[in-house]
Amino acid sequence: MTTRDLVLVALFAALTAALGLVPPITVGFLPVPITLQSLGPMLAGLMLGPRRGGLALALFVLLVALGLPVLAGGRGGFGVLLGPTGGFIVGWVVGAIVVGALAARLGRAGARRAPDLAGAALACVVGGIGAVYALGVPWLAMVTGMGLGPAAASMVVFLPGDAIKVVVAVMVARGVQRAYPIALR
Amino acid sequence: MSPSLYVPGDGPLHRLPAGAKLAALAGLGIALFLVSSPIVLGAAALAAAGVVAATGVRLARMRGALAGIAIVVAIVVAANAWLVGWREAAASGARIVALVLLGYALTLTTRMSDLLATLERLLAPLERIGLADAGKVALAVALVLRFVPELMKQADDIREARAARGLRVGPVALVVPMIVRVLRSADAIAEAIDARAYPPAETDSSRHGPGSADHDNA
Amino acid sequence: MSIVLNHVSVTLQERPVLRGIDLVLGERRIGIVGLNGSGKSTLARLLNGLVLPDEGTVRVEGLDTRAETRAVRRAVGFVFQNPENQIVFPIVGEDVAFGLRNIGFSKRDAQARALAALAEHGLDGLADRPAHTLSGGEKQMLALVSVLVMEPRIVVLDEPTTALDLRNRNRIRDAIAGLAQTAIVVTHDLELVSGFERVLVVDEGRIVADDAPEPALRWYRENRA
Repeated sequence: MTTRDLVLVALFAALTAALGLVPPITVGFLPVPITLQSLGPMLAGLMLGPRRGGLALALFVLLVALGLPVLAGGRGGFGVLLGPTGGFIVGWVVGAIVVGALAARLGRAGARRAPDLAGAALACVVGGIGAVYALGVPWLAMVTGMGLGPAAASMVVFLPGDAIKVVVAVMVARGVQRAYPIALR
Repeated sequence: MSPSLYVPGDGPLHRLPAGAKLAALAGLGIALFLVSSPIVLGAAALAAAGVVAATGVRLARMRGALAGIAIVVAIVVAANAWLVGWREAAASGARIVALVLLGYALTLTTRMSDLLATLERLLAPLERIGLADAGKVALAVALVLRFVPELMKQADDIREARAARGLRVGPVALVVPMIVRVLRSADAIAEAIDARAYPPAETDSSRHGPGSADHDNA
Repeated sequence: MSIVLNHVSVTLQERPVLRGIDLVLGERRIGIVGLNGSGKSTLARLLNGLVLPDEGTVRVEGLDTRAETRAVRRAVGFVFQNPENQIVFPIVGEDVAFGLRNIGFSKRDAQARALAALAEHGLDGLADRPAHTLSGGEKQMLALVSVLVMEPRIVVLDEPTTALDLRNRNRIRDAIAGLAQTAIVVTHDLELVSGFERVLVVDEGRIVADDAPEPALRWYRENRA
């Protein structure tokens, strides 16, 4: 791992933290403003690839565990990790890895061709939503004693917002590629 | 970014070593999942509340951190009561409360540097076989703490600039410049780190202080 | 304390950036000027091994920058143009101590030396401040101090005043003047190097003027301004 890799991992962890500390943003037609923090794993995976992206989110989770208020709303610490949403936060690590791995195969969001953008979007859906929920929902079910079905059902309300985030993530990746088209080794 | 959630103090919890607290949390956490009696869990929740109170933290400070979880607990209890029954609802509600409060107590009473030192010790066996590097972790943590405020400043500037033109900023318009700056500065930051003789030599001299490292600087 | 460049060429991204450079740098105050893209920043980075030559060798007091990079970086300190990217730790004192930790000082010794260095440069009182609360001028001084604390024998500064206002530019100018060790300064600020011993003009990858400041800068002004 080069020094540059280390710096990129740290900066994307910092970005994920900063995205949580920025106030929620209203997006067009959605009644509720969306928090940007869950863009972190998608962007880290898209821009850094599975290894560095996963490390960036692992570093982020470490910071939460260290007691830093980097989760949206200035939250953090072991209490949150052990609570109902803990699985989602840890799931971000796997999410970033999956997004990165799939994006490499399915198409970089940097290109303008529709299939590449669709590939990146699919990677974000499978990783940024699928993998994250795959870890978050069971933990939620276990901690709350709810059972997988009801736990999953209770999360459905978040899916439209997450879908918007996939679109945002892909658009951001494309915007970055246009503004700074140097290949990200 | 506000400083960490750690609250300085001198109580018994503060004085316990981080490793012991982590182990206790892990053990208690597992135990809480093995128990299903609402009475036992309720007692555990009360005990956990007592532990938090014993840290000396003021109620006002707690409110922000715990308001969110209170809502979640209320929803969970209601959902469980409706789906399964009151016994279940009470048990799971109490379990969440106990878990979260114990975790919170650990965060309140343990310095980040102590947690990092414990992590370093845990990583030591991995380090010996070359799978981990505590120095890198420490540097990475430092880099995040260094640059989060700068990123937030940048986000504020972007939002202000748009507001001055009567526009709101959308997520894409906000995040793209932040990432571009990250990518642009990563090379320069890495160069500056390397220029200061990073990474340190892996020989024993790096652990023993100046020693031979000092001679040619005379 | 001399740096010897022997038939050095550097190619970056398939473009030749420096060609056939032969230099012996031994003077105590050396300036390097040139247009943007001339290769001067690459030349500076050869001096501490951040850039390695594709052809030829660079030797710092006999140490080859490719083979003994770590030793070279302890002998040659490098101050970058933008202090924002040079300050790596969240608290000022920790950042100054970072380089010392890398060269083998214990945490305690590094801290003590960091505090002493800050005091020596009029920055005591800043040790516990978060880095992001410092002004631009304070950040540039901090970047300089965090390099000087490692006691390098040569300090290379890459456009140290470009981002600064006049007052801070003067502070840095005075700090450079007061350096005990050799200083090699890459700059657009011609007045900064007018009192130096030697000035090199880099142009399209070659050294086109190499002289005392007056004639070298005159050539530069007449041909490239």
